[in-house]
Amino acid sequence: MDTLLSGQLLFAALVSGSLYALVALGLNLVYGTLRLLNIAHGDLVMIGAYTAFWMFSLFAVPPLVSLVLAAALCALLGWAVYAGLFRRMLAKPDLAKRVEANSLILFYGISVILQNLTALAFSSTSRGYQYLDTVITWQGISMTGNRLLSLGVAATICFGTLLFLRFHLFGWGLRAVIERREAAQVVGVNLNRVQLLTICGGFAVAGMAGVLVSMTEQITPFMGFPFTIVAFVVIIIGGLGNIGAGILAGFCLGLVETFGIALTSPGYRSILIYGLFVGVLMVRPEGIFTKAVRS
Amino acid sequence: MKGPTRLAFAALGAVMGLMAGAAVAQDPVTIGYSIARTGIYAAAAPSQENSYKLWQTQVNAEGGLLLPGGERRPVEFVSYDDQSNPANTVRIYEKLITQDKVDLLAAPWGTPMHLALAPVLQRFKMPMVGNTAASVQLRTVAPGYIWFPTSAIPDAMGAELAKMMKANGVTSAALLANELPYSQEFRSFLIPALEEAGIEVKVDESYPPDIKDMTSMLVQVRDAAPDAVVAMTYPADAFLFAGQAKELGLKAPFVLSLIGPTIDAYRKANGTAVNGIVSSAHWSAQADKWPKGRPFFDAYVSAFGEEPDALDSALSYMSMEILQQAVAKAGLDPEALREAIATGSFDTINGEVRFEGVQNVVTPTGFVQIQDGKIELVWPESVKTADYAPKQGW
Repeated sequence: MDTLLSGQLLFAALVSGSLYALVALGLNLVYGTLRLLNIAHGDLVMIGAYTAFWMFSLFAVPPLVSLVLAAALCALLGWAVYAGLFRRMLAKPDLAKRVEANSLILFYGISVILQNLTALAFSSTSRGYQYLDTVITWQGISMTGNRLLSLGVAATICFGTLLFLRFHLFGWGLRAVIERREAAQVVGVNLNRVQLLTICGGFAVAGMAGVLVSMTEQITPFMGFPFTIVAFVVIIIGGLGNIGAGILAGFCLGLVETFGIALTSPGYRSILIYGLFVGVLMVRPEGIFTKAVRS
Repeated sequence: MKGPTRLAFAALGAVMGLMAGAAVAQDPVTIGYSIARTGIYAAAAPSQENSYKLWQTQVNAEGGLLLPGGERRPVEFVSYDDQSNPANTVRIYEKLITQDKVDLLAAPWGTPMHLALAPVLQRFKMPMVGNTAASVQLRTVAPGYIWFPTSAIPDAMGAELAKMMKANGVTSAALLANELPYSQEFRSFLIPALEEAGIEVKVDESYPPDIKDMTSMLVQVRDAAPDAVVAMTYPADAFLFAGQAKELGLKAPFVLSLIGPTIDAYRKANGTAVNGIVSSAHWSAQADKWPKGRPFFDAYVSAFGEEPDALDSALSYMSMEILQQAVAKAGLDPEALREAIATGSFDTINGEVRFEGVQNVVTPTGFVQIQDGKIELVWPESVKTADYAPKQGW
């Protein structure tokens, strides 16, 4: 019982959960709107992490500023990928039907290219920098400054995105495209514009997640893959294309992981995470929160 | 063909002939290797390849690799990415030997690669000095064409660590081990050694390599309040462990993190918080008794802008020093070279190295500690560069 009431564990769960939610948010936006399976998503996290590392190491630019730079860089990459690869494919109905499967292969290629270009440019050597690692203690809970910052920024971006989707006209258009693609076009939603801005936004969010990760983890060109996996687990648990449910699922995964390990053993981490994943696929393949959020 | 044209062709032929002659005189010694440029080991491999490149630059600056007759030939590398896959390593070395026909071989990165490669070397009778491999399994490799300069073998390390902990007044310990093979092998030898030394194991947990949060495990350690925390980490979780142990303010005076602390980025990311962390390595640039160590350290920093890894970079450079000295004595003939490596004694940045079977029998198993951001060798007494100091907070 003491374990379940531990504020320390709750803090750890919220830090992990917010990061999972943020990484998955970008993937979910891109999948929901464009039906693209972006398995290079984790590599965008890596690009964000390198942006923060180099800006900090070379110019002493704090990660909060790098958030904007990483977002811009990844958004630019999103634009390039959309304009160069997917716009025509999505515009032609016969090609659009196969875009989901094709995107998997294309993004695999993009992932390999991004990893190797980074390794060529900066070598595969591990990188890291020290930022805001002062420990703050509040109500018996010890919190490192950078983890607290990560929680604050990730939660703000997640909930800010939710509010934007709910209250801004563009957000309505985006949700319309996610839910009824053809109908959205009929009522005048500019599909091309929504798709372009969403892929840029989805990529930017991943880049920002990378900045947050860089404050606490080692940075290498190959660090992205685990984030891709976790993002897929989260959006499948929450419901593919359901933005709010994905965010909720991210936090849930953080809670299950942290408290699950505390109640069992760290060796059960994978069993807990993938057990939940397989369980959801078996019982509610549309995602556990899908109905709750839509209603 | 008209006169002037014929003349031009003749001149061209003469120039090409001269160039070919020059090429024969400058014929490089080719050294082949595969390396994990991509895949799961890729982040660790640059510490090895940088040492190779540094060695090559230094040898070529001296006029080339010295052969028995006093002749020097420039060194050229032929290398391929093995994608962190031992099966690729095997194929690449077969290609290096049979198609590229390299003169010498350097080692790939990692224990699985070395183990996969041993039979290939035996089959083609090509000698290779290994470096970045450490496992008791290495002793099962048939002696002949491969050697391992490392002394960081888990059974010896388990026994030495228990001795070191006992000598420093440790009576209880918490063990946290990554589920990857090296950590688990070390753990399996450490537990009986601790028991024998009378050190109580208060916490014994293993965790998956992709762990993203250690809070629950470290809360358990904090509550158990042991004298020592032995975290059998790999680099990725070494960063996580340091950050979260600091967050929770672990009080244990003896803290070990197995692989990670000797990487330059680890100290850059954690700063003074990791002063006092003990780790596994048997080399330090601070050792006066190994005069080649400091120049290697300085040259590495100047070439790559970061410190060499006290384990992998040092071992990789040592392996090339051994090869260089063996070639100076025996030349490039594989059999003569094999004999020279197997029976010779070598002067390296880590002092004398001599092999019996596949193992280096001179370098003692050691432990290092981060003191004021520097890697100091603190164990054993015979080679230490500084006294062990209990960790004073984070």
